[in-house]
Amino acid sequence: MGRYLAARLLQSLIVVVLVTTISFFLIRFAPGDPFSFVGDFPMSGAVRAQLRAQYGYDRPVPEQFLLFLGNVARGRLGYSHSMHRDVGTIIAGAVPRTLLLMSAALAASFAIGIALGALQAVRRGSWLDRATSGVLLLFYSIPDFWLALMSLLAFAYWLPVFPAGGMVDQVMHDYMSFGGRVRDIIAHLILPSLTLALLSAAGIARFQRAALLEVLPQDYVRTARAKGLGERSVVLKHALRNALLPVITLLGLSLPALVGGAFFVEKVFSWPGMGFIAANAIASRDYDLVTGTVIVGGIMVAVGSLLADLLYAAADPRLRAR
Amino acid sequence: MVVAVASDASSIFPPHVTDQIGAAIRDNVYDRLADMGDEMITVGDKGFTPHLAERWEWSPDSLSVAFHLNPRARWHDGQPVRASDVRYSFRVFVDPKVGASVSSEMANIDSVSVRDSLTPVVWYKHRRPEAFYDFVYQIYIMPEHVFQGIPGDQLRTSELARKGIGSGRFRLNRWDAGQRIELVADTANYRGRPKLDRVVWTIVPDASAAFAQLMGGQADFLEFVPPDQVHLLDSSKAVRAAPYPSLQYAFMGFNQVDAKNPSRPHPIFNDVRVRRALSMALDRRAMLQNVFAGVGRMSYGPFPRTLSFADTTLAIPPYDVNAAKALLDSAGWREPTPGAVRVKNGVPLRFSLLVPISSRPRVAYSVIIQEQLRRVGAQVDLDQVQANVSYEREFKHNFDAVLHAQFTDPSPSGYKQQWGSGGVPPNGQNWLSYRNPAFDALLDSALIAGDESRVRGVMRRAFQLQIADAPAVWLYDVPTIAGVQRRIRTAPMRPDGWSIHLAEFTIPPNERIARDNVGLANANR
Repeated sequence: MGRYLAARLLQSLIVVVLVTTISFFLIRFAPGDPFSFVGDFPMSGAVRAQLRAQYGYDRPVPEQFLLFLGNVARGRLGYSHSMHRDVGTIIAGAVPRTLLLMSAALAASFAIGIALGALQAVRRGSWLDRATSGVLLLFYSIPDFWLALMSLLAFAYWLPVFPAGGMVDQVMHDYMSFGGRVRDIIAHLILPSLTLALLSAAGIARFQRAALLEVLPQDYVRTARAKGLGERSVVLKHALRNALLPVITLLGLSLPALVGGAFFVEKVFSWPGMGFIAANAIASRDYDLVTGTVIVGGIMVAVGSLLADLLYAAADPRLRAR
Repeated sequence: MVVAVASDASSIFPPHVTDQIGAAIRDNVYDRLADMGDEMITVGDKGFTPHLAERWEWSPDSLSVAFHLNPRARWHDGQPVRASDVRYSFRVFVDPKVGASVSSEMANIDSVSVRDSLTPVVWYKHRRPEAFYDFVYQIYIMPEHVFQGIPGDQLRTSELARKGIGSGRFRLNRWDAGQRIELVADTANYRGRPKLDRVVWTIVPDASAAFAQLMGGQADFLEFVPPDQVHLLDSSKAVRAAPYPSLQYAFMGFNQVDAKNPSRPHPIFNDVRVRRALSMALDRRAMLQNVFAGVGRMSYGPFPRTLSFADTTLAIPPYDVNAAKALLDSAGWREPTPGAVRVKNGVPLRFSLLVPISSRPRVAYSVIIQEQLRRVGAQVDLDQVQANVSYEREFKHNFDAVLHAQFTDPSPSGYKQQWGSGGVPPNGQNWLSYRNPAFDALLDSALIAGDESRVRGVMRRAFQLQIADAPAVWLYDVPTIAGVQRRIRTAPMRPDGWSIHLAEFTIPPNERIARDNVGLANANR
């Protein structure tokens, strides 16, 4: 197990270095730089040239890359010109916000997906199965930004029951009691997390349905029924438990998204997480912030994949034995 | 009051402000010596009203002006405002290491001296009708005791530059980068306490989300309501439309130099007949109606109509497709077969049109322009890109034609930067590389014209010359329509910044909601 872990860690490190290198060069080869456009009144050429020289962006790109590697090795991710902060500080602030959003979305999507998948499998071929499949396929096909906009319009504009974005009430939050603050955050969390949950619940439900359909004809399920157990108990305690393995794999694969964030959904709902800052960083050619988010995102993807493997091993005794 | 905006301020430190959000914060946190006044007259000092300076007096030779500071003026940290702060501010603005966005406009200012602790004296190199404006409008006064010791090239990244310690009627209370900026009333301000306790700028990058926030009551003020959504405000009981004047005008510009080799003239647009023909082939009125419905305003030339020297009586090439075709024929661009793309010496009349995709009106205009120019035998390839890519390409002359929205300065001096020969990038914002010595001379004349009516006369001639040269098709004055909750009573909103009179915005006590009444209890002191 130790050698396996070491090999996986090495693999992950290589992936992170490769992704970082590619993003470093890609963003520099894109048109513009952090000073090419910073607002409505463009800088003069002289000021821009001076700033490029001051921050070393006038040097050859390979030289910039070596400097960057040296800084990363010392734990410095650089300075964000669009947010005027140390990149590490910005990411440290954004990761918990994204974790909150994505864990709520992940929990909701798996709860919805498993429940609907199980229901479909039990009622296989019925109108409920067909109707649920149709609705889930619809959600699966919708682009995330469109569903985000529609849910925003529906529940924050036409029927204003939820706030239309942000993470907290910008004025009142500081004046609320502790309970009030928690409720405020939950109110702001519901729309973006449900949007994300609906988008991914469809895939989970299909996985769950297929897995349960494979398990239901098994001998041990028949034995459970023959022992006189109720159908509810047979499905929930015997069949569903064994049909969860593929869904756990799916959960593992979803873990990296916990910190990667949801680019468009965070932007539409002004949720200040990793996706939100990465989107703004790319648009403003904020070199250090782009590479910083890629490094942290890459590490988290690697850790997520590793966790998924470990989770899978924990769930399947046959894998542990190997 | 909660203001929804699309992006964060890049800086609020006056020399580094380059966007409207930063400008709004700067205008309320920092003070000028005097304010230009709502008439925006840049000649002389007649329209200016006292701010940090209670009064001022010119020297007999008009080469210096002594300002008498208001002795009650205090920085937000409690220190008094001194003449040395004025001298320091000037030095910062002109320090090349600081990289101020307006440093080139300080060329006529020689120095600032300190007569006594409350009397700074500004010295000019030459007498100029806009000498007063040059200093007073461009330079915001900053506290020397806060920033002294920080090298000029480090001010951009200095934490102190983000603290916003000024003398304005609002204090910066909080700035969460990328999320919000919060101003609170400076209750003991020498110009009086603002009528609002607190103003929060909240960053909402998605336009639809920002609009939903306004309509749902989460935001009180939306700076720019998309033209196609203005009608929704008319039927709202809670929100109203508040149009305000703008200093921005939009045009389709023709690059005068070859995109591949800027030292050579553009192969198509070098000929004024082609530029005029393309201008005449475009039905500007129909486009305006199509894109903006009832809220658009047609452009009368290379200026927004809010400028004091704007002239709406100038003759612009009329919409006349047949005349446009004839002009193209006479310029040698002929249709090989009816309806085909015109050709001259084997070169097709085909060019790309650079369009920033973030601007919905300009994207809509580009599609109509493509279709209208197809009818006269010109093929337009739409080149829709991110806004910063568009600026980058304009900066490097790497485009054929562009749909551009230009912010201008209230003074003719801004035109030197934007249309004068000396303003061709990298020196200025003459993106089209438009050059006409007669136009340059007229601009110079406008800058030395002694009174507003003479400025207007000279600028009229300059504009007419420019319209005849047709470096661009003048499309529209960028409509700025804010959405405001009805309980907010706005003060006059100026073209150079809707928030200049923010301290006079008010909410009647009987219409206040919970967030209007939270007071200043949690404001940092």
